[in-house]
Amino acid sequence: MDAKLKETILNPIFKGNPITVLVLGICSSLAVTVTLKGALVMALSVIVVTGISSLILSLLRNTIPGRVRIIVQLVVVAMMVILVDQILKSFEATYAIDKQLSVYIGLIITNCIVMGRIEAFALGNKPWPSFLDGIANGAGYGMILLIVAFFRELLGSGTLFGVDILGRLGYVPNNLVILPPFALILLGCIVSVQRSTQKDLQEK
Amino acid sequence: MNTNSNLYTVIYTTLIVVVVAAVLAFVSQSLKGKQEANEKADTISQMMTAAQFGAKAEFQKMGNKAVLEKYAQEISQAFTVNTKGQKVRDLDLNKVYSPSELKKQNYNIKGQGEAELPVFIFKNGITVVPVYGAGLWGPVWGYLAFQQDGKTIAGAYFDHESETAGLGAKIKDDPEFQHEFVGEQAAFEGADQQDLTKSRVFEIVKGGAPRNADGTSVIDDKIDAITGATMTSQGLEKAIDAWLGAYSNYFLGISAKRAAEEAANQSVEE
Repeated sequence: MDAKLKETILNPIFKGNPITVLVLGICSSLAVTVTLKGALVMALSVIVVTGISSLILSLLRNTIPGRVRIIVQLVVVAMMVILVDQILKSFEATYAIDKQLSVYIGLIITNCIVMGRIEAFALGNKPWPSFLDGIANGAGYGMILLIVAFFRELLGSGTLFGVDILGRLGYVPNNLVILPPFALILLGCIVSVQRSTQKDLQEK
Repeated sequence: MNTNSNLYTVIYTTLIVVVVAAVLAFVSQSLKGKQEANEKADTISQMMTAAQFGAKAEFQKMGNKAVLEKYAQEISQAFTVNTKGQKVRDLDLNKVYSPSELKKQNYNIKGQGEAELPVFIFKNGITVVPVYGAGLWGPVWGYLAFQQDGKTIAGAYFDHESETAGLGAKIKDDPEFQHEFVGEQAAFEGADQQDLTKSRVFEIVKGGAPRNADGTSVIDDKIDAITGATMTSQGLEKAIDAWLGAYSNYFLGISAKRAAEEAANQSVEE
């Protein structure tokens, strides 16, 4: 794999993470991180949506009229989101989790990462790198989601993936952790850790 | 080719929209059956959870098919009643009453039309009726199961569209909250026939309903509201009040009939 492609994949996960560095997609990372299961399904859904919309729009990039390009992007992204939602609703295994995530799956449309990566990358690059860029950005988003959800589920409900962990030890779940503000605090901690370990992210 | 000309832009957007619409319509049509089956099994397992045939999680593990089979085994009759307590028509036992239909009836209960409310009676004599109303972020609904006396609650299950996870969502996720309903009695006399939304049939109180020394709830016809979810608790209480208010004539009728039967039995014995 050549260096540029590798950079495309690795950059969004660490140095250019959409949530902690680009500060995109914050809203949903506060909303769907109460349980790990929800966060996982959300992360996978976003990966599919960013990956495939980037691929489709990269294939179309030379034909899209400049004046309506945002609308065309929106139509393709909306289609992908509805497809993901419909498919989640159709399987017995994912029906309950789709119900739990309710509006947030639909709201992937408004997740800035999707449109942001299409606008910044897919419209100017070949399909394969665009696809990888979409997947990688989704993965970078998903990684943060899972880290936040890990702490929120553990401290807020005493469970991990619904399995009782801390409750057994007599831990009383903390209600504050379940509320969105705590996700913001956690996110702040993650950003802080990341910036202190990566010197080139620090502002002078 | 000039991709910026007006004609090109119009044709291009039209084409994209038509293609996307076709894809979505196709997918929606082909997945519709599966989605409806999921919703049906989910609704049935909610009703059966309320009627104490098992915990919701167990039904989820059973899979759709087993849930439907169990329902077919246990259900005895289903019909609709009006707010006067008179039977309107029989319901197909193979079909369920979805939350969207409950929403329709909720408008009727609020006074916009003649309500037609479903009643489900299981073979063990337990009657299940739905309730529906507004929570904090979206609709809340659920099922209350009544003993044969038409007054004592045998069980409850609630669901919601988008209440806060960990707080309002506890109406669904906290079996303890649902368990509190067991044994409580609904005060159907508190129904307001003029305006059903003003009925006072059931109470969900803030600040703690009294509890026994071992932490179990006292049977006092009051339910402990969920801490940190005042709006959801109030919404649920209003939903229960309005719907049970609408069912009041039906259930009062059952109680009266039972009382008459008992009196008749006694006179025979004498």
